[in-house]
Amino acid sequence: MNSIGEECTDLKKKYDDCFNTWFSERFLKGDQDDSVCAGIFKIYQECVKNAMKQQSIDFKEIDKDILGTENEYKTPPNANSS
Amino acid sequence: MKIWTSEHTFNHPWETVAQAAWRKYPNPMNPAVIGTDVVERKVVDGVLHTHRLVSSKWFFPRWAQALIGTAKICYASEISEVNPIQRQMTLKTTNLTFCHYIAVDETVRYTPHPSDSSKTLLKQEAVVTVQGVPLSSYMEDLLTNKISLNAGKGRQAIEWVIGKFDTEIKELASSACKSTDELLSQTKKSIDDITTSARRSMDDISSKAKSTLDDIEKLTKANANQRS
Repeated sequence: MNSIGEECTDLKKKYDDCFNTWFSERFLKGDQDDSVCAGIFKIYQECVKNAMKQQSIDFKEIDKDILGTENEYKTPPNANSS
Repeated sequence: MKIWTSEHTFNHPWETVAQAAWRKYPNPMNPAVIGTDVVERKVVDGVLHTHRLVSSKWFFPRWAQALIGTAKICYASEISEVNPIQRQMTLKTTNLTFCHYIAVDETVRYTPHPSDSSKTLLKQEAVVTVQGVPLSSYMEDLLTNKISLNAGKGRQAIEWVIGKFDTEIKELASSACKSTDELLSQTKKSIDDITTSARRSMDDISSKAKSTLDDIEKLTKANANQRS
């Protein structure tokens, strides 16, 4: 599986391998210490955050509560607003 | 607003399904998912919290594209919790693109099956809200049917990933265990049973979704004719 940033795909694969092993061998058996993969995760995370900035993806949009019932019966917003 | 729910049983223990859930992509049943990235992850009080970004290609029919525009790649935010003591895994996904018109919230829960703890129960719920565009309830139906179709594929995908584990287990077993033959034939039988029932429910969902989509198309055309 690729990363959203091409340059991060190798880091992602290394991190995923570390995580999958930790998850099966340690976490599911009761070991909560997640420092094993912390090093590779930090490098991978920085790469992903940069890629997100470059592609203008941000998570602020999901904070807007569109599903709330108070919105359901309102007049639809002006179609010209984006 | 439209709500869709579904339940399914996997013939595998919860730990196996939880591991498969993290390895779900890529798989042949969900070719639309093109990227997954972990944005944040930490263990708090024994619970693993993860925030992931999932990117996928969505193809809308042409009449829908005129309303909401085409987006080649859609992004979704997935927040999950894994509790290994209580054996619960919950994933909540919200789409990021199209947020002004369409909100899709999906929750997926894996727990041990209440009547057989060696099996896993999967509960899925999706809430689709479309507003600010005409034909919003038709759009909601369309998206809900797409979710339903994808859910069947998602279940098959989990089975496919578990199938890959079983290959690894087989290799380990043959080099270590005396009761190898018994282990292999039992595993093969379970996989066969699950694949048959997953295939049956997938066919069922596909044909129901297809007839609903056909109905929507007919209604859309009738509506267009009335107005013109």
